[in-house]
Amino acid sequence: MSRSKVDGSGSAPAGSPLHSSRDASSHAGMPSAATSQAALIEPLLSVTGLGLRAGGLPDGRLLFERLGFDVRAGECWVVLGPNGSGKSSLLAALAGVFERASGEVVIDGQALDAWKPDALADRRAWCPQFWSDPFPSSVLDTVQLARNRHDAWLFETPEPDDAVQGLMARLELVELASADVRTLSGGERQRVAIATALLQDAPLLLLDEPASHLDLGHQQLLVDVLRGHADSGGAVVVSLHDLNLAWDLADHVVLLDGRGGAAAGPRAAMMKPARLGAAFGVAIQQVAVASQQRFWSGLRGEEADR
Amino acid sequence: MLRRLAIMLALAVAAVAVGVAAGSSGWGWATPEILWKIRVPRVLAGFGAGAALALAGALMQLLTRNPLADPYVLGLSGGASVGALLMLWLGTLGGTMLLPDWSVAIGSGAGALVAAAVLFVLSWRLLGRTGLAATQESSVALLLVGVMIGTACSAFVSMLLVLASEMQLRGMVFWLLGDLNGATQWGVAWVAWLAALALVWPTARQLDWLARGDAWAATLGVPVVRRRRVALAAAALATGAAVATAGAIGFVGLVVPHALRLIGARTAAVLLPASALGGGAFVVLADAVARTVVAPVQLPVGVIAAAVGVPSFLVLLLQGGRRRGR
Repeated sequence: MSRSKVDGSGSAPAGSPLHSSRDASSHAGMPSAATSQAALIEPLLSVTGLGLRAGGLPDGRLLFERLGFDVRAGECWVVLGPNGSGKSSLLAALAGVFERASGEVVIDGQALDAWKPDALADRRAWCPQFWSDPFPSSVLDTVQLARNRHDAWLFETPEPDDAVQGLMARLELVELASADVRTLSGGERQRVAIATALLQDAPLLLLDEPASHLDLGHQQLLVDVLRGHADSGGAVVVSLHDLNLAWDLADHVVLLDGRGGAAAGPRAAMMKPARLGAAFGVAIQQVAVASQQRFWSGLRGEEADR
Repeated sequence: MLRRLAIMLALAVAAVAVGVAAGSSGWGWATPEILWKIRVPRVLAGFGAGAALALAGALMQLLTRNPLADPYVLGLSGGASVGALLMLWLGTLGGTMLLPDWSVAIGSGAGALVAAAVLFVLSWRLLGRTGLAATQESSVALLLVGVMIGTACSAFVSMLLVLASEMQLRGMVFWLLGDLNGATQWGVAWVAWLAALALVWPTARQLDWLARGDAWAATLGVPVVRRRRVALAAAALATGAAVATAGAIGFVGLVVPHALRLIGARTAAVLLPASALGGGAFVVLADAVARTVVAPVQLPVGVIAAAVGVPSFLVLLLQGGRRRGR
């Protein structure tokens, strides 16, 4: 089924001209000229038969297995699933810092293990869920940590270039530029981390729960920034907990159910209320509010009827 | 920043000049014999030991992601203390000098080496762990292994202090406080701090990344396990050489890197060499005071280092804290 049919007009951010082109390039749509053409573009990231165990240990609890999907330029993938279902582990495994139990991860046509680590850093950036900030460091220095990374003798952070200044303005970090990262609020620190990842200048972005501390306005900002990254030829894989935010950002979804099940596909197919409800163990309803699709959760059958 | 490093270098040279000019009989140039046989070797020994300790401290703080780490958390000074005190005890057993002076330096060097070997055997696998959860875990575990080695050594030191005679006790206590009195062997500390700096300085940027998280550094292409092991080996080498030269001078390794951070040395590329230069200058100046303040009595340099360093560091810390608030 095609996205444009199922989603209707509600899913597109207001006034977004990008949405239709997004749908046309989706490789999971109906057989058409557009999709077969898309299939010729080599995916930025290709996952086949992936299985992970907790902690990356051979005797760890099975998180999921037989997960496969392709991420192409222009796509935004959201990883959904309950606590402990393996979202962070999946993102770390895609980044190459988590031991796989089975399966293959291919980036730009080359197997993950065959990449030279510093060359891979040019192709994908990983933003972990937790950062350690043991020592003082300004916001300006922190967002540029991974920039000019081939410059081994960097005595001080260079003057911010246009890309740095532009992104800091976009993420509302300019006023914080000289602040010590250890004095920031959770949401501010998170925006700094997102900026650090984006400024690594890699096409494939892997972000682990980048919205967990963001307020509503900054969540929307994050969606816009990540969509912008995808629209300019990159791709994004990001784990989220907020279904509405996921709906706004995603064109594709990986759904982990926490019981070993994993599925990947276009947003509309993966984010059916019944399917989400089964994965999260709560009743979920999808409603249209002001012509936008929203998710309600927490009300079980008879309570919802009252 | 290069300019700041040049300033640090000038400061270090000035400190050495002050150290050479300061004497127990007042300021000024001594006779050539005193100058070349006593003062210059002593100043160089102090500088080398201070540089090695501060460099090791900066490395340990980066490696454990803990601003409170210092070279001694590894337990190496504990091993050196056991070796040195053992030599002091054996050397004068029965009331006569059986062993030459330099046997104490050999003893402390050997003690530090044994402690480093134990540390490496116990922490080799910890350092080899990577992954999401292992990051914090392995830093803490490394600290705990070091603390355990240090605890075992200090128990041994206490035992030696109890067994020692009145006469031996004085020498032992001075050694434990950190003492440059009669230090003439400066080559070992210099080779050690220069070699340690040469090992880690070229990868300084990777050490900065490592401090943010092992897994994140790995995604930037850092060979995490090798970097950690090399950094630990460099810190162990520097610490062992420093305590063999000048005894267990406290405070330098913890506070010099910290103070430099407070005045703006934030990247490891700056912090590591600046720590070495600053630590060397600090110990030389402290020793100059120790020799002159109640001359002809010579105080242990460790006492002056703490007496001068603690208040100035607290001022720096509290002022910096006020400025940072926003």
